Amino acid sequence: MSVKAFKLVPAVEREMLMGDKARINIECIECCGKNLYIGTNDGSIYHFLLEEKNSPDEKTSFTVTKQLHKYLSVRKAVGELKAASALNRLLVLCDSAIMLVNMMNLEPIPTGARIKGAVTFTLNENPVSGDPFCVEVCIVSVKRRTIQLFLVYEDRVQIVKEVFTQEQPCAVAVDGHYLCLALTTQYIILNYNTGASQDLFPYSSEERRPIVKRIGRQEFLLAGPGGLGMFATVDGISQRAPVHWSENVIGAALCFPYVVALDEEFITVHSMLDQQQKQTLAFKDGHILQDFEGKVIVATTKGVYILVPLPLERQIQDLLASHRVEEALVLARGARRNIPKEKFQVMYKRILQQAGFIQFAQLQFLEAKELFRSGQLDVRELISLYPFLLPASSSFIRSHPPLHEYADLNQLTQGDQEKMAKCKQFLMSYLNEVRSTDVANGYKEDVDTALLKLYAEANHESLLDLLASENFCILTDSATWLEKHKKFFALGLLYHSNGQDAAALQLWVKIVNGDIQDSTRTDLYEYIVDFLTSCSDHELVWKYAEWLLQQSEEIGIYVFTRRPQEEGQDNSFNPDDVMSCLNKYPKSLVKYLEFLVLERRIQKEKYHTHLAVLYLEKVLNLKSLEAERNEELFETKAKLQSLLRESDLYRTRFILDKISGSDLHMECAILYGKLEEHDKALHILVHVLKDFAAAEDYCVWNSKNRGILYRQKLFHMLLTAYLNSSSAEHELVMAAVDLLNSHAADFDAALVLRLLPDSWSVQLLSSFLAGAMRESIHSQRMSQIALGLAKAENLIYKHEKVKLKGDTTVLSDRKLCQVCQTPFCEPAFVRYPNGSVVHTHCAAGRLVTSNTNRHFSSPSGRT
Amino acid sequence: MKPDGKVVLLGDMNVGKTSLLHRYMERRFQGTVSTVGGAFFLKQWGPHHISLWDTAGREQFHGLGSMYCRGAAAVILTYDVTNLQSIVELEDRFLALTDTANADCIFAVVGNKVDLTDSCALLPEAEDERPSEKPASGCVPTKVKRQVHADDAIALYKKILKYRMLDEKDVPAAEKMCFETSAKTGYMVDHLFETVFDMVVPTILEQKAEGPSQIVDLNNCKTAKNTQRSCCR
Ligand SMILES: Nc1nc2c(ncn2[C@@H]2O[C@H](COP(=O)(O)OP(=O)(O)OP(=O)(O)O)[C@@H](O)[C@H]2O)c(=O)[nH]1
Ligand SMILES: [Mg+2]
Repeated sequence: MSVKAFKLVPAVEREMLMGDKARINIECIECCGKNLYIGTNDGSIYHFLLEEKNSPDEKTSFTVTKQLHKYLSVRKAVGELKAASALNRLLVLCDSAIMLVNMMNLEPIPTGARIKGAVTFTLNENPVSGDPFCVEVCIVSVKRRTIQLFLVYEDRVQIVKEVFTQEQPCAVAVDGHYLCLALTTQYIILNYNTGASQDLFPYSSEERRPIVKRIGRQEFLLAGPGGLGMFATVDGISQRAPVHWSENVIGAALCFPYVVALDEEFITVHSMLDQQQKQTLAFKDGHILQDFEGKVIVATTKGVYILVPLPLERQIQDLLASHRVEEALVLARGARRNIPKEKFQVMYKRILQQAGFIQFAQLQFLEAKELFRSGQLDVRELISLYPFLLPASSSFIRSHPPLHEYADLNQLTQGDQEKMAKCKQFLMSYLNEVRSTDVANGYKEDVDTALLKLYAEANHESLLDLLASENFCILTDSATWLEKHKKFFALGLLYHSNGQDAAALQLWVKIVNGDIQDSTRTDLYEYIVDFLTSCSDHELVWKYAEWLLQQSEEIGIYVFTRRPQEEGQDNSFNPDDVMSCLNKYPKSLVKYLEFLVLERRIQKEKYHTHLAVLYLEKVLNLKSLEAERNEELFETKAKLQSLLRESDLYRTRFILDKISGSDLHMECAILYGKLEEHDKALHILVHVLKDFAAAEDYCVWNSKNRGILYRQKLFHMLLTAYLNSSSAEHELVMAAVDLLNSHAADFDAALVLRLLPDSWSVQLLSSFLAGAMRESIHSQRMSQIALGLAKAENLIYKHEKVKLKGDTTVLSDRKLCQVCQTPFCEPAFVRYPNGSVVHTHCAAGRLVTSNTNRHFSSPSGRT
Repeated sequence: MKPDGKVVLLGDMNVGKTSLLHRYMERRFQGTVSTVGGAFFLKQWGPHHISLWDTAGREQFHGLGSMYCRGAAAVILTYDVTNLQSIVELEDRFLALTDTANADCIFAVVGNKVDLTDSCALLPEAEDERPSEKPASGCVPTKVKRQVHADDAIALYKKILKYRMLDEKDVPAAEKMCFETSAKTGYMVDHLFETVFDMVVPTILEQKAEGPSQIVDLNNCKTAKNTQRSCCR
């Protein structure tokens, strides 16, 4: 758990002070800016100038130049030195008195102002007076159990307060109004303003020298039992866990985030962040340890040394270098408040990124990812670890100094293929996660291209998803890579997403033709058809139409027949152009005509006739093959019949001519039907085909939407055909009976009865007769009802008329027109049903401006 | 970060304070060394940050206790159920340390190491450990006679109330605030801390509502302390 946080640099050595005079010892030191003062036991003060020099090899050292050496008048030890730079004064404790001397020439001030009777003293670093030209001094008085507070000005001294304590104080630190005191048996906090005191904890100052040190606003560091360094606030609360020193600690100093302590043999360094001991430096005969404005100075009785803190960044880098990520991060976070915010953020981000790479190198991907994320890593730093992933066009250069020690992944994994694969797997998922987030902003091309390369290399299915969705893959780079990995289908997608559909198709066609190998899609042909079907570049469609049809007439034709509807009329293909292209592909042609006629319902004779002819030819052709393809024949016939039946546009005579001579009787009958030559048609159905069901059907569909009379006419013709056969076959008679019995409503019974042979029994026709009867009665009753209703209506009108006639209308001079409110001057008037009487011209006008409506508040509701 | 409330564990050395905190914070039980001075953890409880102070039970550090307890919102007094002296010490030595705690400080009395006692067979399954492990590493080999019973803890709790001059009606019931735990198996450990935290939250809210005056008034503290002392003598 060691960090190199400080290094010990000698500052003032023996020769510079006492030379070989063995009796002379360093008693105290003070450092203020570049001024270093040393007080000795023979009553002299040395003044040095301390200058730091940073040599290139990072070995900080100091040049120390002696300024002055001054003997005080009394040859007693100099107990303490404190500089008050604002006053240009040095406070010197010697022989129980604090005198003021000039900081520069060390001459006593002329007024001779001094504080007498001090055992020890301290300056208030958080002064309450607010006067910049005075310092607040707190002394432990030679008087028993007394603390005194003074204001010290340039050349005078003023006592402010005297405070008595319950026990003899032996050390004091001040912060604002608060005194932190080491008494004989305990530490206390004393508010000298209010006199309130608070016990902290017991401590025997006889056993061990107490330490009381202000470490910041309202917080003190105290030597506790068992070698503890205890923290306490002015409220008497501990906010940090104690640090554990050795039992015989002599002095303590603070250099954030470290607490430095001195004992007889060592200087120890603890972190305030985790209370751990971080560094130990051997240091014999230590005597003084103090910090001055961030500078930590230690001294033996003979020499002075400086503990130079290594820059925090350096310490953090050291920790990172030894892969102690967690400690490095704690240290970095702890430094937050000691570093300007901007600078901190830059530094901290970098540390997070570095930490991320350390975790990454240990294949701790989850941790790495989190660190990369919080460190806002430029993903290209990560990508650049992987050879060849960044596109050649990328402007990326790794940050300098480097975030990690690795040249590339090969070095990192030392060629371990398994590790390599894991790293790639990680990058894949990481890039996939970040590609649509802010992290990728500004270099989406690099991210997507890298991802594409990884997918292609790993044969990952997401490659296609990547290319099929919006992406920023760089064409040249990606194309080369895909070619290299034989991902031709994907390459096509890439071309497509770059608007180069022609190139894409060329590639895909090659795959289908077997010129190049890529088994990504087994249904690539269908894919191409789909692709072209929705392709709006018609030239491209034409270019590949023939090829598509050559591959498969049935599927290739989709390119024309399955085009998305929204394309609109003007955008779709001209059917004639298509047809001329299809001439060589009969199957496709049929499909296309079916599309035009049956699907698009294009009402053009040409297409209907053409389709009918094609069907017909096929039927004839199949027929000539005899029973071989019965199924198909059957199907085609059905299609033909259906077309002939449904369509009214084809050239009937022309088809009929083509059909005659063949044995396509049904079709023939349908055609006759179209020509309204029903007797011919029925003749075929009844006598040639003897298909009575078909004959009935014929009557039904031919009379569809043409009224009952037409229907009756057709059925009657059918019946006649059954009965008027020369060879009164039994079969036909039965058909006639069945027809009558099942279609009673479709006949005019009177006509039928006249036609029927007398020999037929009533029983035979009972069903028909009953039906006809019911029908007849029904219609009779319906007409009676209609008649009754009409009569009733008539009566109502008559009633109205009589009512209206019953009232007399008197027209007199006094009567006023309801519209214009003027009298009538001629006999003609208009009377409304509600009784209002108006001028004829007013009535005419009212028809125009119907708003006069409101004048006739009609009692009957009708006006 | 400044914690919103403080919870302090007190108790003789070796009763298992550090182990309880480890179990709760790190979900495991591992070897501990006797605590030097003290240590603390920060626990996020809902929107609040609670500092959890582990103190040293050793006589040497006894003097630090008062300072750790200053301003505490809750004090967990811990003893070892297999060691009668450990609960005696709570009353004799540790109770006085709580003088500096908040006036409305919550007290919990916790008997740890129940896994060692012969009644442990009756304990429900440990929360974290797999049951199969229990016979092997659990309590079976080292049965120790229980020296402290639940009644003793309740009696102590009542003495605490008396010492603090609190009315039983104004504070949580003794049965609710006396726990028996095992840091080793995790038995009741979460329950202990969660109960205490839940009770601390109202105090925290009150303090937050009172605004930023986080400075303790020395005058008031002192008088409060004095009155308590004089009354209890
Ligand atoms: N069987 C058992 N042993 C425990 C339990 N809790 C603690 N121990 C053991 O008791 C010993 C002391 O535990 P600590 O947690 O260090 O005790 P402490 O209260 O922190 O002691 P100090 O820090 O000296 O005050 C250790 O050996 C622990 O393993 C428990 O629940 N069951
Ligand atoms: Mg402990």
